[in-house]
Amino acid sequence: MTDVVTENPEVTVLLVDDNPQNLKVLYETLKDKGYRLLIANEGEKALDLAHRHHPEVILLDIMMPEMDGYEVCERLKADPDTADSAVVFLSALDDLQAKVKGFSLGGADYIAKPFESQEVIARVKTHARVIRLEREMQSRNRELQGDQTRILNSISEGIYGLDENGIIEFANPAAATIVGCPAEELIGKSFFELHFASGDEAPETLPVMATCQQGVVESQRDIQMLRVDGTTFPAEYRATPKLLDDEELHGAVVVFRDISAELESEQALEDARTLVQEQRDQLAHTSRLTTMGEMAAGFAHEVNQPLTAITNYARVSKRMMAKEQPDLDLLRQTLDKIEAQSHRASEIIRRIRKFMKKPATGKEVVSVPTLLEDTRQFAEVDMRNNAGGIEVQLEEGLPDVLADPIQVQQVALNLIRNALESTRAAESDAPVEVSARRCGQHCVRIQVRDHGVGVSEQAEEMLFHPFHTTKDDGMGIGLATCRSLIQAQGGDIAFERPEDGGACFYFTLPVAGVEGEPCTPDEA
Amino acid sequence: MTDIQQTVYVVEDDEAVRDSLELLLKSDDKPVQTYESASAFLKDYSDQMAGCIVLDIRMPGMDGMELQKKLNEKHSILPIIFVTGHGDVPMAVDAMKEGAVDFIQKPYREEALLEKIEAALEQDREQRKSLDEKQEIIRRVKSLTPREREIMDRMIAGQANKVIAIELEISQRTVEIHRSRVMHKMGTHSLAHLVRMVLSVKDLID
Repeated sequence: MTDVVTENPEVTVLLVDDNPQNLKVLYETLKDKGYRLLIANEGEKALDLAHRHHPEVILLDIMMPEMDGYEVCERLKADPDTADSAVVFLSALDDLQAKVKGFSLGGADYIAKPFESQEVIARVKTHARVIRLEREMQSRNRELQGDQTRILNSISEGIYGLDENGIIEFANPAAATIVGCPAEELIGKSFFELHFASGDEAPETLPVMATCQQGVVESQRDIQMLRVDGTTFPAEYRATPKLLDDEELHGAVVVFRDISAELESEQALEDARTLVQEQRDQLAHTSRLTTMGEMAAGFAHEVNQPLTAITNYARVSKRMMAKEQPDLDLLRQTLDKIEAQSHRASEIIRRIRKFMKKPATGKEVVSVPTLLEDTRQFAEVDMRNNAGGIEVQLEEGLPDVLADPIQVQQVALNLIRNALESTRAAESDAPVEVSARRCGQHCVRIQVRDHGVGVSEQAEEMLFHPFHTTKDDGMGIGLATCRSLIQAQGGDIAFERPEDGGACFYFTLPVAGVEGEPCTPDEA
Repeated sequence: MTDIQQTVYVVEDDEAVRDSLELLLKSDDKPVQTYESASAFLKDYSDQMAGCIVLDIRMPGMDGMELQKKLNEKHSILPIIFVTGHGDVPMAVDAMKEGAVDFIQKPYREEALLEKIEAALEQDREQRKSLDEKQEIIRRVKSLTPREREIMDRMIAGQANKVIAIELEISQRTVEIHRSRVMHKMGTHSLAHLVRMVLSVKDLID
């Protein structure tokens, strides 16, 4: 590495002249000026010294026996070690021809003999400085290039430099590794022929072609690229046009990578998601079965009502028919009543079966009023023990939501049953208030509010945590399941503490057919 | 024998069950009155009601058990048949302890219900009859003069006319006249009958 001027101010100057008198004068002129002075009285010796000491400036006499100054200059310039030295010709030949020849051979300057010592000092000083700066600059350049190369070498993505025809001009080591071929063997080959099966598609539609030919930026993911051995790999690439200072297109730079591992982990992630979804559905189903189990006595009562009525009506009908002149109108009315009651019973059973169905039906466009009314009827089974009952309040013109109706019903039922239970525990006859309203552009908010015993601040923190419960016979699954179900619909669920006591739970669901993220409970 | 009108009072929140039961009982020629809630019945209640109550144990608002308690407070003697659902047996047992006559589980057979209703009406009739008899005895007892009452008490206590005459310092003849008045007013000829009649209302007249 070349020393930097400021760090080592010593500049080497080589004086070359066959005339000892001239050498002496030059030496006298330049000594004590801070230069290291080297002296040669003939060409060979000058070349040797120059080769060994890399002088910044060489004062070179033209007219010398054996090897003249021109030849010395020529050979200095031919040797990379000495080519950068500033050659200043010294000659009495003060004619244009000689000067031009000197410059054409790479000379930096010309001093005519007899020379003025001031001029010599000034010119040497100038050239010494120029050369030092030049050398410093080159050294910096080499460092920079080294850095760039190291970066290109260490980057894990493959990088190709292509010319406008797609011929590979540059390939980094990662590119070589990915395509399975030493980098130097890639140079000169066609990117398109090497990496894409010919004849598959029209050449202009091949990846990177548009960048090479039209200078557009392009990128794609999950395309198939060929390795050199003919096998394929899934790749992601980005191609940017290579524009030089003249703004003209000079091909493309392609950054690419093998995404096999990435795709595999994406697949693994997808599989894991599917598994989680399946387990969530399973858990939701189990939790629905549990709910039904808890409500079984209520349902039995609910089904027994129409069955009892049917039995009574049937008896009445028989008696009517046993009469001598049966009242056919009354009989028909009674039979109609039997029919209505059997519909009623089957409707209850249908609702239970639908609720128990496994797996959930998947997302569909759901009418919120219908869903809530259905849920209310469901919850009425429990409501028989509550004086206040359930009140449903719906905002006008509620939009439909996109959700799994069974799972949403499950959540709503869970919240309503909790609310009824809490109201009972508080021995309150205030109704449980169920309401729904639109909330922002993207979602509908459904709220279940009770005036029951409420939620302690300590319990509030743990509300949606699994296996945390405030009930003696609870498992702590309910609200945790609710949250996971609602989040699966793209909504969220939260608790609010009403100022006048009781509890308020609400959840959001995305409006059907509206793009964008649904609101979070905080915005709601 | 005064045959008072007995009515089956049906208290049931479910409209279809209520309606069908009403039709069923009417087809069996039973007077029926239906109520959709316990409080509606309570509002309508009077001690003049005779018959029985067919009461759904589970109802929103006031349930069957509560109505039973309220009626007990009012000294109602109307027999109650509780209609229960599956799993309500423990409740029904409590209801029986509180004096319900019977319970029947939904859905029931008509014969079973009608039998229970018959039995309840019979019980009501008997209770009412004995109540009527007692009322009659009390009325008769109250028609006695203080003297007659005193003499009757002594007769019941087993005192002979002579003893009564000495203790009350009246003539035996006078005792005999009072005695015959008492027997006449109480509507009997037998001392044994008189004793039984008065003892049956003993708690009510003292």
